[in-house]
Amino acid sequence: MTGSGKQRRTVYPFAALIGQEDLQLALLLHAVNPRLGGLLVRGEKGTAKSTAVRGLAELLPTIEAISDCPYHCDPDDLRKACGDCRGRPTGRKPVTAIPVPLVELPVSATEDRVAGSMDFEQAVKTGRKAFLPGLMAEANRGIIYIDEINLLDDHIVDVLLDAAGCGVNVVEREGVSVTHPAEFILVGTMNPEEGDLRPQLLDRFALCVEVTGLTDRQARVEVIKRREAFDSDPGGFAVRWQPELARLQREIAAARELLPVVRIADDVYEYISEVCAAAFAAGHRADIVLAKAAITLAAWRGNSEVSRQDVDDIAPLVLAHRRREPPQESETPQTREEPEPQDDHEPPPDNRSQNPPPEQQRERQDGDRKDDGAAGPAAEVVYAVGKPFAIKRITHVKDRLVRRGSGRRSRTKTDTSVGRYVKSTNHRERNDLAIDATIRAAAPFQRRRQQRGTALVIESGDIREKVREKRIGNFMLFVVDASGSMGARQRMIETKGAILSLLLDAYQKRDRVGMIAFKGDRAEVLLPPTNSVEMAQKCLSELPVGGKTPLAAGLSKAYEVVKQHLKRSPHMRPIVVILSDGRANAAADGGSPLAEAHRAATALREEVDAKYLIIDTEKKGLLSFGLANKLAEALGSECYSIDQLKVDGLADIVRNAID
Amino acid sequence: MHNHKPKSYPFAAIVGQDSMKLGLILNVINPRLSGILIRGEKGTAKSTAVRALAELLPEIEVVADCPYSCDPDNPQAHCPACHSRHEAGEKLARSKRPMRVVNLPISATEDRVVGTLDIEHAIKHGEKKFEPGVLAEANRGILYVDEVNLLDDHIVDVLLDAAAMGVNTVEREGVSFSHPAQFILVGTMNPEEGELRPQLLDRFGLCVTIGGIGDPAQRVEVIKRRGAFEEDPDAFIAAWETGQAELRKKITAAQRLLPDVKTEDDILYRIADIAIQMGVDGHRADLVMLKTAKALAAWNGSSQVEPAHVQEILELALAHRMRRKPFQEVGADQQKLHQAMHGHAHQHPHSHGHGFAGKK
Repeated sequence: MTGSGKQRRTVYPFAALIGQEDLQLALLLHAVNPRLGGLLVRGEKGTAKSTAVRGLAELLPTIEAISDCPYHCDPDDLRKACGDCRGRPTGRKPVTAIPVPLVELPVSATEDRVAGSMDFEQAVKTGRKAFLPGLMAEANRGIIYIDEINLLDDHIVDVLLDAAGCGVNVVEREGVSVTHPAEFILVGTMNPEEGDLRPQLLDRFALCVEVTGLTDRQARVEVIKRREAFDSDPGGFAVRWQPELARLQREIAAARELLPVVRIADDVYEYISEVCAAAFAAGHRADIVLAKAAITLAAWRGNSEVSRQDVDDIAPLVLAHRRREPPQESETPQTREEPEPQDDHEPPPDNRSQNPPPEQQRERQDGDRKDDGAAGPAAEVVYAVGKPFAIKRITHVKDRLVRRGSGRRSRTKTDTSVGRYVKSTNHRERNDLAIDATIRAAAPFQRRRQQRGTALVIESGDIREKVREKRIGNFMLFVVDASGSMGARQRMIETKGAILSLLLDAYQKRDRVGMIAFKGDRAEVLLPPTNSVEMAQKCLSELPVGGKTPLAAGLSKAYEVVKQHLKRSPHMRPIVVILSDGRANAAADGGSPLAEAHRAATALREEVDAKYLIIDTEKKGLLSFGLANKLAEALGSECYSIDQLKVDGLADIVRNAID
Repeated sequence: MHNHKPKSYPFAAIVGQDSMKLGLILNVINPRLSGILIRGEKGTAKSTAVRALAELLPEIEVVADCPYSCDPDNPQAHCPACHSRHEAGEKLARSKRPMRVVNLPISATEDRVVGTLDIEHAIKHGEKKFEPGVLAEANRGILYVDEVNLLDDHIVDVLLDAAAMGVNTVEREGVSFSHPAQFILVGTMNPEEGELRPQLLDRFGLCVTIGGIGDPAQRVEVIKRRGAFEEDPDAFIAAWETGQAELRKKITAAQRLLPDVKTEDDILYRIADIAIQMGVDGHRADLVMLKTAKALAAWNGSSQVEPAHVQEILELALAHRMRRKPFQEVGADQQKLHQAMHGHAHQHPHSHGHGFAGKK
């Protein structure tokens, strides 16, 4: 057996870090009080995030542990020990001092290794059901470090945060049922550009620090010098910093001793809740964490009483990821559009009135008849791109097909060996053994099978493989109405803003994108399917507007592109996003433009397996024609306004549904 | 001895593309430069250059029977097996072989890359056995990924994780194992097919963008040499052997000199100033600039980093780091870079490649 060997290496001394005061403070506070609740580091690449975390582990004093316990239980605190340790008589608990465990979770880690799983070797060799502890067991009383936590699969993040929250890992999977202590400091890093964590996960981290590179040349040079010195002689460098490390260790020890006696005066408690309320932090976790952090900071500073200064100093780290916008909107739901009328020529839309003012009615009729005939085909205008916003989750429904590929949008069964294990199959295609199912399949035949030195005899026919589910990217095809009417009243600016938002989302979800624009008398593929979201963005900013509205042509082009795409990459399911108000005024066959468009829509729905989504670009606040809705009906798709696409808009959608 | 392998075109015979050649050689001189990304259109000798590099690579000492090619003289970086053998006082058998270029096909699955459980063994004996993957093979060599921008995202994450730490940690499917994976990551890509995420770009030490050669005389030379090579590879390779040998000698000399290359403080300040001026993310750029300048100094036979060395490697070290947002094109800030280069220039910035003595 090759063993479960791990590599060790000399780490850069914590004390030799320069300039990242917030990060260092946040880590030191966790050293003083490991129960503080974890740290999220957001920010630039290459800012010593990993180095600092590894350095912290070195800095922490060794812990006393029961030596043959896989969870290194604390002999002095059996309340938190695992069942096995609690059950053993005191005399039979050999104790050793071990360094604080640091577990670095690789991005490719699977759920069974994180949580623990059935011990396959034991099962086959001895026929006993045993639990093979996972990384959370290994990290008990230590640190779990996850680089790029926002790239980790959701189901693994959930498992980790669950355990981190209650200090216990409950495993109920693959035929094992085990509960064991899992108290660890969770430290995650992320780069927000690559996609954010869900808010409920953010809230689980007690502290959050933003790191950036230093801008002071003196400090930068010092960084280079120390790093070079470390790289050329890690051992020697570590020895040189030993005295400094020892000083920090003494300070930590002193602060730890002080910690239990630090108290907070009532007026400081009040101050804490004021500070949290002023940041509009949700729930009470912010208050609790801030109090805990302030106590720890006071201990670190050698004070036995928390001062307002302590609260002020640590509040930014506690509130960085919890601060919210003032919640006025919830009281007056509609006001959000009102205070900033985007167009001076428009009276502010009056939501309570059922009858639109006369100017608006006139405008409607214009759009209906001539489609802003003033802007002829020659008069093409390029509008700016509006401000992007966070958009709600758009996914494909799950079906039974098995796909491969990566990305983060729609759930699908996959034939790669990443993803969540949902069930087993006896199809053998990959080398992805489902241990529990295999053993179950072999169980009935054990008496009749030849023993060959193992307790359990497994034959090829028993082998079951895992069926997995994961998220993958989609092909996002944008079909954009670029007719002259889109130029009116900033509609194109807003529409481009919406597309940019969808593109940013597509970047984070690793989608493939394409773009079709229809205007004048035809539709054009501006961007053939590509992985390059930046090309799509370039294409978007250059997209001109002008001419009539050949909606049917746009839909037919989408038909062609999607058909072709499906032939080339059947694994990437298409999502067709149509940005239009549902109007049409140009037809290829000389008939009714609208009827032609609806025929094209029906053909799409019936013949092309794709998800359709209509973003209604009609200005809100007017009595709507509902043409986009009719188009949505023909396509069998959902229909959103641009506002409804926003994450914040979701509450409104729900409210509408309830009303 | 290379009977079954297709003959590779001699590195010394590659016409032009000096910055690419320099970037590759600097990485060989100091394998800790964290690799190079070569961006360019089709048919610009990207792959040829990487494959040709294999013939120039120096020999390394390895533990004879170790699947991870551990260095017998560096117990710090041993795999767990070699480590315990070393601790037990065993004398590890040595052998010598050239550094490897390991090719990672874009269709590679994650198991193939990080290694996997030997399922047959597991079933028969109830014992888990780790079967090393591409990362194990690439330890202390070059890992070459053609079309790195088309590689599955997940695999790229795994690769860069290992590249950054120099260790491959496997925590999957009941396997918990780690082994050294220090490799020079060389990627090629055609930007028309889509960009790499900024996060990933930053992990490549150097980056070079190459185009076709404009000079007609050089273009003709490319055709002639290629023709001669295809007609009679052996004769062509033999004809270029002197050039190749010279390059090899020079690389070895530079490797030997590298530890003694000194850097004055004013060079460090210059590097810090450039990094601040360019607004690069974090500090990785500074370190890469310094390491690359040192390697260049060694390559030029100088034991002191001169301002001209920093100047010459600026573009290699910074071209891909000035991109700040996912949607900004690489090189959008080229002008800023040129300003920085000229602002500090004591000599003409386009002087790469004067070190290619082997070129005829």
